[in-house]
Amino acid sequence: MRSRFILALVFTFLGIIPLLSQTTVSLIGRNTGTKVLSDGNKIRVFGFTHDFGENPSVPGPTIEGFEGDSILIDFWNISQGAPHTIHLHGLDVDQANDGVPHLSFEVHHMDHGYYRFKAPHPGTYLYHCHVVSSIHVQAGMYGLVIIRPKNDTNVTWENGYSFHTEATLFMSEIDTFWHHDSVLLHEYDTSMSHHMVALPKYHPQHFLVNGKSNWQLDNQIIQGKANANIYLRLANIGYFYNRVIIPKGLHGLLIDSDGRPLPNALQSDTIEVFPGERYGMILAPTEEMDDSIVVQYINMNTGTIANEQAVAIQIEGYLGIEHPSSQAYSLWPNPSSGSFYLSGAPTPCTFRVLNSTGSLLFQKETTETSPIQISLEAHPDGIYFIQVISAQGSWTSKIIKQ
Amino acid sequence: MNWCVAETVSYTLFINSGIYTAVDSAQFPASAFNLTAEFSPENARIIASSGDTIHLRIINNDSLVHGFSIDDKVPLLNIAVGDTEEVEFHFFEAYIASIYYDPLAYPTNVALGLAGMIYIAPSHASTFYWNLKEFNKSWASILATGNSVDWANYYPDYFTVNGRSNPNINLDSNARIVGSVGETIHIIIANTGQSVHSLHFHGYHAQILYASESPNYVGRIKDTFPIKSMQTMILELIPDKPGEYPVHDHNLVAVSAGGIYPNGMFLTMLIQ
Repeated sequence: MRSRFILALVFTFLGIIPLLSQTTVSLIGRNTGTKVLSDGNKIRVFGFTHDFGENPSVPGPTIEGFEGDSILIDFWNISQGAPHTIHLHGLDVDQANDGVPHLSFEVHHMDHGYYRFKAPHPGTYLYHCHVVSSIHVQAGMYGLVIIRPKNDTNVTWENGYSFHTEATLFMSEIDTFWHHDSVLLHEYDTSMSHHMVALPKYHPQHFLVNGKSNWQLDNQIIQGKANANIYLRLANIGYFYNRVIIPKGLHGLLIDSDGRPLPNALQSDTIEVFPGERYGMILAPTEEMDDSIVVQYINMNTGTIANEQAVAIQIEGYLGIEHPSSQAYSLWPNPSSGSFYLSGAPTPCTFRVLNSTGSLLFQKETTETSPIQISLEAHPDGIYFIQVISAQGSWTSKIIKQ
Repeated sequence: MNWCVAETVSYTLFINSGIYTAVDSAQFPASAFNLTAEFSPENARIIASSGDTIHLRIINNDSLVHGFSIDDKVPLLNIAVGDTEEVEFHFFEAYIASIYYDPLAYPTNVALGLAGMIYIAPSHASTFYWNLKEFNKSWASILATGNSVDWANYYPDYFTVNGRSNPNINLDSNARIVGSVGETIHIIIANTGQSVHSLHFHGYHAQILYASESPNYVGRIKDTFPIKSMQTMILELIPDKPGEYPVHDHNLVAVSAGGIYPNGMFLTMLIQ
């Protein structure tokens, strides 16, 4: 990052547009991994790793880059079995780099494959093997690609939503039968790149968030602070769909999907994420909280909920909120359908109205001693903050328009 | 300004039953609304312009009583064996996709195939049509003989677009997208199956022009499009580069037929 900054400065002084960097990622594909499930059983997995000596992880390592970067993936297949590929899901790469074996190329045992792409849009993407993808994805050959904006890593995209922390819920399932060698080590014809393989019926018994389930999720706590936005990335590489239920106190705002901003952000505490989809949400906690995000796993054919997993979320403190001193300020009614009244504010003062992401909507100086009317009639329902600034100090309070 | 003159658009639909031959040569009973008295697994597409009078003549060519309906548009018509019913209706909105179907014994007759799409154009774009439908081979025989199944245990094993599975979907010029860089392409999708299908596009993002499930989806630019049972969607794709790229269900069980990968809901787009 530091060298990027220096380069940018140099080129800015020269009047030249800064060059964007190239990121090189090394991935090794293995088919001899082991995964310990929450019931203590071990299964064989295929997967990706950065280092030769590592057990492949499920999910694989997250590939991270910056908007506009050229990214090169050096994929080394060390697995004595079927070939593998890397499909860059959602990154809209050209055909040669798309990772579909019969339309681009496949990487055989001990071969290297090189995938090149530019990342024009910040967002959340996937990568996975596309050789007999039904089996190789279930086997564990998948991971996330996260592309961040080039100028500020704490915004979702240029002029987007700012956030303090981010968290990811990456959903999948495991059917242990699919992890028997009789399934994983399927036949393949080295003379063909269009492999036809029999699939067993899919009846998953394990339901994962970030590769973990049940007690394994106990240490996957999302931590945040009141009045500090959390950017929550949701992705589903499973064959069931997910219903993600956000505690109401987090004031979930759905803002992007599949690497593109939504045309209209949507306040929602429940979001369905289907196989291959990704969503981004801004969580805007306003008070301390100790709760859970619930993820349901729903059968695509029957609509029945097969399982639920819970990811703890802990919100602490009152970041950025100055509590009133001895002065008895008050805002009422709260919640309101649009009109709020502020009384007890010192004069003169400036009151500012901020939206849930901290952006200033409007401000006004006043010397009124009688209650001041603040109208949010023209703004959508949601969480807002009123900040009163005077010589005596500042005071911020949350209001809800509903 | 161009003024479109509303017309009467007439179709005759035959309710046919027959034997569906799947991509792996497996055979099972199926039904469809066809444009002739000969059974084809591909349901007829009804295409009209906004304001047009759509006149349908529906002939029950099967040996069972059937129904016809379009949600919020045409209430249930019962059609006795050998009988003909006629109905007229309009869509006043453009860029709408809807589903006509046989609601009797729901979802039995739909599961056997009796559901097709209606597209209200006009579209000046290249237009392709995907009627998504999945079947359970064993259940098709049970349902066709009037017996019931437990839908809570539904596990389909054949996944089709316009009645075809991979690689035969690419043989359907109405399904396989062939176009050029910069061309505006519209894709009309109806899910007439019972499962949810989550279609993933390689190579491109597309924009949702219409979604029957929720107006909130309109305008979203995505690469993966979930479509629930009996819902429709219209996508606009403007390719920015040439190549051959797949579109497939990302429920990766659904890219199979008779349990064989990759013979399911998988096709490719060819952009010059």
